[in-house]
Amino acid sequence: MAHRLRVDWPACQARGLCHEVLPEVVDLDDWGYPIVTREIDAALLSDARAAVRACPRNALRIVD
Amino acid sequence: MTAASPVPVPDEIRVLPGPALLAGIDEGPSLAAHRARHGTAPAVTAARLLALTADARLRGRGGAAFPFSTKLAAASRGRRPVVVVNLSEGEPASSKDSALALTRPHLVLDGAVAAAGALGARDVHVVLPGDRPHAAERMAHAIAERDDRVRFRQHRADARFVSGQARAVVELLAGRSNLPVVAWAPEAVAGLHGRPTLLSNAETWAHVGLLVLDGEAAYTARGRVDEPGTTLLTVTAPGQVPHVHEVEYGARLRDVLPSSATGGPLLVGGFHGSWATWSTVASARVSVPGMAALGMPLGAGVVLAPGPGTCPLALTSQVVDHLAGQSSGRCGPCLNGLPALAATVRAALTGSGGERGAVAEIERLSRLVERRGACAHPDGTARLVRSLLRALPGEVAAHGAGGCDARTAEAA
Repeated sequence: MAHRLRVDWPACQARGLCHEVLPEVVDLDDWGYPIVTREIDAALLSDARAAVRACPRNALRIVD
Repeated sequence: MTAASPVPVPDEIRVLPGPALLAGIDEGPSLAAHRARHGTAPAVTAARLLALTADARLRGRGGAAFPFSTKLAAASRGRRPVVVVNLSEGEPASSKDSALALTRPHLVLDGAVAAAGALGARDVHVVLPGDRPHAAERMAHAIAERDDRVRFRQHRADARFVSGQARAVVELLAGRSNLPVVAWAPEAVAGLHGRPTLLSNAETWAHVGLLVLDGEAAYTARGRVDEPGTTLLTVTAPGQVPHVHEVEYGARLRDVLPSSATGGPLLVGGFHGSWATWSTVASARVSVPGMAALGMPLGAGVVLAPGPGTCPLALTSQVVDHLAGQSSGRCGPCLNGLPALAATVRAALTGSGGERGAVAEIERLSRLVERRGACAHPDGTARLVRSLLRALPGEVAAHGAGGCDARTAEAA
């Protein structure tokens, strides 16, 4: 089953590590904030979990 | 820098008598007058309230038009819920909840108390507007008149556009800043302190109150079979204080508009709403799905007529400047994107950058901010700007060519 990456917007401070770890899913906007471009399939799930752990603001969650 | 609202929060409004919620307002807002007209509300079970509100197809009147019975069903599962009456109208051009506070506060409270009884909630939180002192005072006075078994807890919202947003209200109730946060679950599932939180605005609660007091037969006799009941509209037009009307669903929208509002484009749904041409408004009937299909969702029932001589693009620019300053400033895409969008609209107004450049940049920035915030403030702001491009395409073109011709835009 596909999951989605959700951003806790007030927590996010555009550090950009999510894009470094998971460029397949996370693009960055004009100001460095994440743009979630696609769902997370089984092949990307472990990288997505790594992106969640990598966020220094704890601003990412994987939701169903 | 925060730009003032081009449409100020009114010091004075006119509330017109209506068929249901606003019937008998000349009898005054006292509890005695309310009881004399409606009697005492009977206790209802959760199942009965669910059936009542589902049969009446009651939708929330805060703008999203979410089915009330779905919310009620969600709040009736799990821990002891809390009930919240939201009177914080962040939208300056909306005064319907204030109108109810001033004229029918006990109808609003009867709805909330009935739901609290049905759900076993002990607390009814009442969130008073921070920028409308008369309405807040009147509601506080009404609460003091009550003799219910629930505990009323009063709060005062900040005077900020986003302060009435549901999650911002839950934050206020929890003792934190009155600003939106990300909702990981609906409030009705997990709101205040994780409890199911049945939060609705004053108008929604007034409809619940009316259903409980008068029954569904009387309620559904008004409006249309597929969209029963009535709804409140706030009409702002040149030369008069804002008017709050109650109309049946299916009524002609143009019938509540004064002559100063006819002929030109109107802003429907408020600052987060949509521009519509006069011909669209003139043909419309008041309806949630009907007006959404016409590209001008009813939202919280705001109709704003700039009047002849006011350029819709200039007004849009002022509104977007204001909305950019009303961001809580905590979500990056809104904090950065709305000022960028405001600057682009200003450029379109002065004709710099050319018509095509301005339109393309407005579209790009709108897409960039949508669905990327804790609340729908960026989405609503983007909707407003895009609606101008869609409904009045001639306006940006005229400014790009160095002029301003609202009449050309109207014809287009």
